[in-house]
Amino acid sequence: MRLCSENVSMSYRTGYFGKRSTILEGANLEILPGRTLGLVGGSGSGKTTLGKVLAGLERPSEGRVLFGGRDIWKMEARDFRLFRRKVQMVFQDPEGSLNPMKSIERSIQEVLSLLKVPKRDWHERTLDMLQTVGLSEELLGRRPSQVSGGQNQRIALGRVLLLEPEIIILDEPTSALDISVQAQVLHLLRELQRERGMGYLLITHSAQVVSFMAHDIAVIERGRLV
Amino acid sequence: MAEVIRALRSAEEKIRARWSLLGPLIFSSFILAALLADLISPYDPWKRFNPYQMPGWEHLLGTNDMGHDILSELIFGSRVSLAVGFSAAILSATLGTAVGLFAGYFRGMADEVLMGITDIFLMIPQIPLIIVLAAFLRPSFWLMALLMGLLWWTALARIVRSRTLQVREMGFVAGAKAIGFSDNHVIFSDVLPNTLYVIAPKFMLTVASAMIAEASISFLGLSDPSMKSWGTMISYAFSRGGFINGMWWWYLPPGLCITVFVLSLVMMAGILEERDIEPVKVD
Repeated sequence: MRLCSENVSMSYRTGYFGKRSTILEGANLEILPGRTLGLVGGSGSGKTTLGKVLAGLERPSEGRVLFGGRDIWKMEARDFRLFRRKVQMVFQDPEGSLNPMKSIERSIQEVLSLLKVPKRDWHERTLDMLQTVGLSEELLGRRPSQVSGGQNQRIALGRVLLLEPEIIILDEPTSALDISVQAQVLHLLRELQRERGMGYLLITHSAQVVSFMAHDIAVIERGRLV
Repeated sequence: MAEVIRALRSAEEKIRARWSLLGPLIFSSFILAALLADLISPYDPWKRFNPYQMPGWEHLLGTNDMGHDILSELIFGSRVSLAVGFSAAILSATLGTAVGLFAGYFRGMADEVLMGITDIFLMIPQIPLIIVLAAFLRPSFWLMALLMGLLWWTALARIVRSRTLQVREMGFVAGAKAIGFSDNHVIFSDVLPNTLYVIAPKFMLTVASAMIAEASISFLGLSDPSMKSWGTMISYAFSRGGFINGMWWWYLPPGLCITVFVLSLVMMAGILEERDIEPVKVD
């Protein structure tokens, strides 16, 4: 199913009588299965906010977000939960993407618990997931601060993949990684897209990353798609 | 020169490591004494002997005007003092944590209402109110703990709210929400564990404050006379001539116990505050 935004605007008011500041203005985007849309823009241009709005993490002040042609904010709770599983987001900071107080194993298993996977299958599913993202079992007992940035990002991606999403919003997924690890993660993302036909919205400010990954490109400047 | 500095630093670290054990050691000794009071107390604290006996082999800390053994009173009294301190701290920590977590996590109207209530409670003169209520209602240590717990949660609520505002902006909270975890799951499984290190030292300091308040209120004669606490021991020593007649063995031990135990709590709170926590990056 495709995900799109229709005239999405986002503004905040600080305090009751504060001035309203606009972060997004009339954004129209479409993310299609099997394709990558690169969203490029400078710092503070509204890229992440648009990503969060598309992922249903923030409600737009105006406009609609449509998933499979239905407005996500008019969905019933059950359908919204399904939308949440089908549209996922991977964040920029690999270490901050996982709870520092939980082991890697616990972070993975709580997703399996959410999916109501029987406990006896947890270990097998966890190993399958680690294999998919190219990691070994050794990491399971460690905490996010005890593994590398690239490994954390793969684990965050693996957690998201357990939900079998149709669309993934990738918010600068490689910007905090060194160049060799960046390439590994990008290749993995491309391979997964080929295998599973997922659609990506790739938020980045790197021209190299976007030219390597994206089928289409959108540019955002001061909250407006240009 | 560099070697001397290194040696001094290493010596400092060793001293610090040893000192850091002192707080938990004193704390656990008092807790053990309270728990094992029936086993380690030399006498029943209500049993009468000759009054005003100075410390000696038969009564290590002497006896009071009623002939009660001071050491036994001290050991049994620790139960009440610690129970009041911990009950008040548990209640205030539960209330303060819940208010701070919900206000910081949900923000908006929930934040404004909860912080408004917190501000109102902050304006109440708490100790005078506890004294007035303790004077008008039936004297009871549990009532004292309840009142302290119900009035002392405000500072913790503000601290927890500030920390929650930080944690809710971290990537793993947004990630958990995106995965589809409920708000309750995110609050209790992701946000709360990352606020515990600000709650723990405040909890210790609340136990200390509640014990000092209990001693002060008991000293004013507003506590339950049928139970022994360190505060009531000092109160009786004062009202029945222990201070005037220089019977130091009567009033000094409970005073020292309060001071040393509160000191151990403050030392532990300091350790918890300084403890290295795993670095958590903010988006």
